[in-house]
Amino acid sequence: MTDTKASSPPPSSEGAPRINLFRPRSGFARKEVLLIWAMLAGWGGGIYGFQALLVLLQRQSDGAGPLTETGLFGFPLHYWYTGQFLIVWFIVLCILFNLLADRIMVAARRQKQRGEEQ
Amino acid sequence: MSESFKLAPVLMLLTVLGLFLLVGLASRTRKGEYYLVSGRSIGRMGIGAAIASNWMSAASFLGIAGIFYLQGYLALAYVIGWTGGYVLLLILLARQIRRFGKYTAPEFVEARYESHLARFLSALITIFITLIYCVAQYKGIGLVFAWIFGLDYIPALFFGCAVVVSYLVLSGSLGASRNPQLQYGLIIVCFLLPLMAIAGKLGFFWPLPQFGYGRALQEIAAADGGSLFASPWANATPYQWAALCFTLMVGTAGLPHVLSRFYTVPNVRDARWSVVWGIFFIGLLYWSAPAYGTFARWCEMNGGGFAATAEAAPIADLVAIKAAEWAGIPDWLVGVVAVGAIMAAFSTVTGLLITGAGAVSYDIYYRLLNPKATERQRMKVAKGATLVLALIVLAAAMKPPGMIAEITAIAFALAGNTLFPVFLLGIWWDRTNRQGAVAGMLTGIAITLAGVGASLWWPELAFWLPATASAFIGAPLVLLVMVIVSLATAPPPEHLRRFLADDVHQP
Repeated sequence: MTDTKASSPPPSSEGAPRINLFRPRSGFARKEVLLIWAMLAGWGGGIYGFQALLVLLQRQSDGAGPLTETGLFGFPLHYWYTGQFLIVWFIVLCILFNLLADRIMVAARRQKQRGEEQ
Repeated sequence: MSESFKLAPVLMLLTVLGLFLLVGLASRTRKGEYYLVSGRSIGRMGIGAAIASNWMSAASFLGIAGIFYLQGYLALAYVIGWTGGYVLLLILLARQIRRFGKYTAPEFVEARYESHLARFLSALITIFITLIYCVAQYKGIGLVFAWIFGLDYIPALFFGCAVVVSYLVLSGSLGASRNPQLQYGLIIVCFLLPLMAIAGKLGFFWPLPQFGYGRALQEIAAADGGSLFASPWANATPYQWAALCFTLMVGTAGLPHVLSRFYTVPNVRDARWSVVWGIFFIGLLYWSAPAYGTFARWCEMNGGGFAATAEAAPIADLVAIKAAEWAGIPDWLVGVVAVGAIMAAFSTVTGLLITGAGAVSYDIYYRLLNPKATERQRMKVAKGATLVLALIVLAAAMKPPGMIAEITAIAFALAGNTLFPVFLLGIWWDRTNRQGAVAGMLTGIAITLAGVGASLWWPELAFWLPATASAFIGAPLVLLVMVIVSLATAPPPEHLRRFLADDVHQP
């Protein structure tokens, strides 16, 4: 299996990295890595962003504040968000990731097929 | 703990174990993989159920309810850690690991880093993860057997261990295969059905009890001033919460028996989509587990008042069963909770002991010590290793070092400090070499041990590096060590880098 022209890596005689989450190659690899970073942002932001907000808005050191005093579906908001919503959020993230990953993979395969036909 | 012998749970337990054996025997001739039932693929949903069945252990079934009962919001770090880890696994590793095509963690490590030492270390880590994880399961088995059979903890532990090993030997000698979908179905029914009965009995919204216990939570908060459940940082600081959550997530993404699931899925797309179902099925249990802890406290509140920590701690790991008892649901339904817990622990222990024994007999004995070993010799070593591992776990579980969820979290810390960085950089940075991997795993082992040591002897350090949450500092440090050592030494061979670029990372 060889790579297409667009995403062909440079020779690594100088040890230049070709697989790098911070410096992806062009084409499919770049799109995939961008998707991964976007998902990581949604994952980390969803978990730690909210906990940070909880700390920022707290009035007491035990975390009591507007987010613990507001109720939603019978639960304190912070509890509902972390204990119930975040699992839904993870499922949504996974579905989004799979849909977008399927899309960029199909596009990359088509491009590769076209390149081989030419 | 003085409990009486309970006939209904004993009969249910025997029936369920017999059912598993019969179903296993019925499907053994079909030579199906775990995702096959009746000779046909059951698709992504079935694979998702297999992921969840593989995952659900005593820590999920008993541990989360117990830790929530004692420590409130901190338990949600377990819930999020043990579900969010799958997101990390999906977006960073699932596809690439499937394409790499190696079937166990040590095999991946040797293939990627071309190093016997790295393979040996990863096999050793796998064995230790197995041992720690099993100690937590054994504690659960001991507690529940003590409750069912009216025994003290130690005799119940020995009895439970004898039943586990006998079941393993019997199913192995008969050639019975596992049916993870059936196992998942039974475990989740055993968890949800009694919870619905408890909610109904106590006057809460019973059709979806996992979303209907908010009023109980609010009433408890009003009665105790929020210190039990409502105040997020009443029992742990934000740092402790964040560190634990992170550790459990990277640990999940680095656990050998979780990663192995992706090798045996028919194709890459199925591997990815099955994770969605897996999280949903696992979520069904995790949405519900805190409800058990909440109902237990609600019963206390309406009885003689909240139990003090000293009284609550010894029963916390059994609180799912206690909540059912205190709510006054029929005895046989209380027994259903106990049988579900035993099933969850059994399936995890048998799977883990097989994984650990495989690491001893294949990765260490056959691949490193005696490459000319015959199949029979390897089988002998595997059987011996299973027995030795079971005995080591038994000895450790006689005086368990913490709650079920806490012990399990130490296994996650070890996985997050060692295998996760080795997998992550192995897949995502082709410049990582064998020296980097070995240095990383050694550093990860040292950090995990430091966390355990600090928790025992150095409370000031344990605040920053708790045994259950050491990967928050450990995993980034190990990644850094791997990068520095890899850059300071020769790059990996060209064919490996090309394999990563041309095969593993192809669309």
